Amino acid sequence: MAWVCGTALASVVLAFGGASAQEKAAAPEPVACGTCHLGVVNAYAQAPMRHAMEPGNGDPALQAHPSLSAQQNGYTYTVQTKDGKSTYTVTGAGGSLTLPLRWILGQHSQTWVLEKDGRFYESMVSYFAKDQSLATTPGDDAIVPHTLTEAMGRELSIWEVRNCFTCHATGFNPEEEPAPEKLTGGLNCERCHAGADKHMADAQQDNFKSIPKSLKKMNAGETSDFCGQCHRTWDKVVREGWHGPATVRFQPYRLANSRCFDSADKRIGCIACHDPHQQVNRSEAYYDTKCLACHAGGAAAVKKSAAASKPAAAAAPVGKACPVAKEKCVHCHMPKVDLAGGHAVFTDHQIRVVRAGEAYPN
Amino acid sequence: MAAALLAGSAVRAQNAGLTFDDLAAQAAAARDQGNLPRALELYGKAEELRPEWAEGWWNIGLLQYSANQYGRAIEALNHFLEIQPRTAPAMAVRGLCEFETGAYDDSLRDLDQAVAHGAANDAQHGPILRYHLGILLTRAGRYIDAMAQYKVLASKHVEMAELPLAIGMAGMRVKSQPGDVMEQDRQLYEAAGKAAYALLADDSKGADTAFRELFARYPETRSLHYFYGMLLFPHDRGMAVEQFQREVTLDPANELATALLAFTLMYVGRYSEAAPVAERAVAASPGMELAQLALGRSLIETGQEQRGMELLNQVLEHNPKSLEAHVGLAAAYARAGRKEDAYRERMVCLGLVG
Repeated sequence: MAWVCGTALASVVLAFGGASAQEKAAAPEPVACGTCHLGVVNAYAQAPMRHAMEPGNGDPALQAHPSLSAQQNGYTYTVQTKDGKSTYTVTGAGGSLTLPLRWILGQHSQTWVLEKDGRFYESMVSYFAKDQSLATTPGDDAIVPHTLTEAMGRELSIWEVRNCFTCHATGFNPEEEPAPEKLTGGLNCERCHAGADKHMADAQQDNFKSIPKSLKKMNAGETSDFCGQCHRTWDKVVREGWHGPATVRFQPYRLANSRCFDSADKRIGCIACHDPHQQVNRSEAYYDTKCLACHAGGAAAVKKSAAASKPAAAAAPVGKACPVAKEKCVHCHMPKVDLAGGHAVFTDHQIRVVRAGEAYPN
Repeated sequence: MAAALLAGSAVRAQNAGLTFDDLAAQAAAARDQGNLPRALELYGKAEELRPEWAEGWWNIGLLQYSANQYGRAIEALNHFLEIQPRTAPAMAVRGLCEFETGAYDDSLRDLDQAVAHGAANDAQHGPILRYHLGILLTRAGRYIDAMAQYKVLASKHVEMAELPLAIGMAGMRVKSQPGDVMEQDRQLYEAAGKAAYALLADDSKGADTAFRELFARYPETRSLHYFYGMLLFPHDRGMAVEQFQREVTLDPANELATALLAFTLMYVGRYSEAAPVAERAVAASPGMELAQLALGRSLIETGQEQRGMELLNQVLEHNPKSLEAHVGLAAAYARAGRKEDAYRERMVCLGLVG
């Protein structure tokens, strides 16, 4: 039986929960991630990264909106969902083309990967949860299609296919011809915790020596590079010469541009504020505590820091306290950016004192 | 002979007493009527009266070029460019004439300048200018510059029968001209050029299939994997690494491929793999910036910060605007806990790309 993680755990537990004591003794219960890490596996089942890519059928948002349509460049786009199956149709220029939604990328706003004649396409329109409607896929606004196929979607290059599936799925083998049917949608444990599968196999044999590298021990710089594999590293964005408001989507890059960013300090790392195993925390108060971990300020904070039991904490530098407030820090220091054409609002992770009316830095 | 002399004297008689304006008008009329010899004669006479008349020289140059009289066209365009030195179309035509006369260095200089000043921006003349410039750049060993010209053509889906061979030669670093290629090599270069054209024209899947067929057909041929790696590098460094690795396996003495492999491994963050390759590259070519950058950053990331920073600073001595050196130094300072210096270097980088 294949090792399983995440949402499949419940069915595995249920399946084996009913076995008799005799059966259990005869066949040892397969080890899954959740066998030992049940809490984190259960929580992760609902986390965004777990659902970074889903099969094209049975999507709740599309089921709730079974007939979506949009007009663009003289073409009509419709996404129909019936009996749990979704199809994507483009009509115009004297023809019509209907394809099944192959894969859904994105949990809230969705872009679809379509497949035609052995080639992959990014759908020309996407579904935007904020507006509950279809609109042009971000980045495709300038495309003027000349054929029905071009109107259907933008053909993905081989490297785009590789990048899409590497970051949105598990099991993509860059050495092989892309075979989406072999992929697991979303990121499972092995995707970030390399060696997790071997660890499980060894655990089955009571061998607990092959433990995957702990990601908790990474400092801020290492975490940025790790998460930046998909969310874009600072190096990547700079080397590509990307700039302007669109870079707000690349949080590790924006964070590293912050004056307070210190690679060696875990308090400014991605996972200091975000637990990838959990749903996104929307509480401002929660984030205030993260800011105040450095910016509590004053002699009391220095004393507290110095008195901390852990040596690392004792050495941790203390940032200046905010003279204005000790709550809702992000309002002034991490503004929201409404990206044109993005149909979504992003938090700018370049931490700074934001002046009214200032231009987006870089 | 006698008839020609008689005809000449008749024309002289016709021209007697004509003003410059008369000659210019008649020359233009003859040109428009397609009477090339008459137009050339009249333009010549007009220039005798007014040698600073740029338009006349331009027309003589164009007419001689049309008549395949390249040497005479060059003479006329020399006059024109003395009067109007920075005129891109004239540089372009002179460059094409120089190409035909075998004055390749002069041709390269002129076409390079002409294209840089926009002479290739129109759809009619652009392809022929870029094609010739690409050939000359290849001949001069400026392969990447040549590929940049061909990329423009492929991205516009310009189709020329000669283009695949030229692209193949530039990509495989063949410092020669299409006419000099031996027959047995032509097929390979053309096939490689076609595969590259597909990628440059946004058909990456077609290109990948074509390159893989080539690798199967020419398993021992050098520079093919290098070529594909170079094409992939701007898009996907991970895929480029694979090609550079295969090239170095086929040709371990290839210093450029070794440096590129080291650099690309470094670029994708595979520092411990990059470091030994970069060491070899620097040992083989101590002054090669690519190798220095690869080794410098790889050492920084594998615990030899001091030597790594020295290498990156060496690069900056020669090339203060090296983005990669500054990116590496930012990483080095960050690792060393020099937060302010790291921030400063990051801001330098943003300034360089902003």
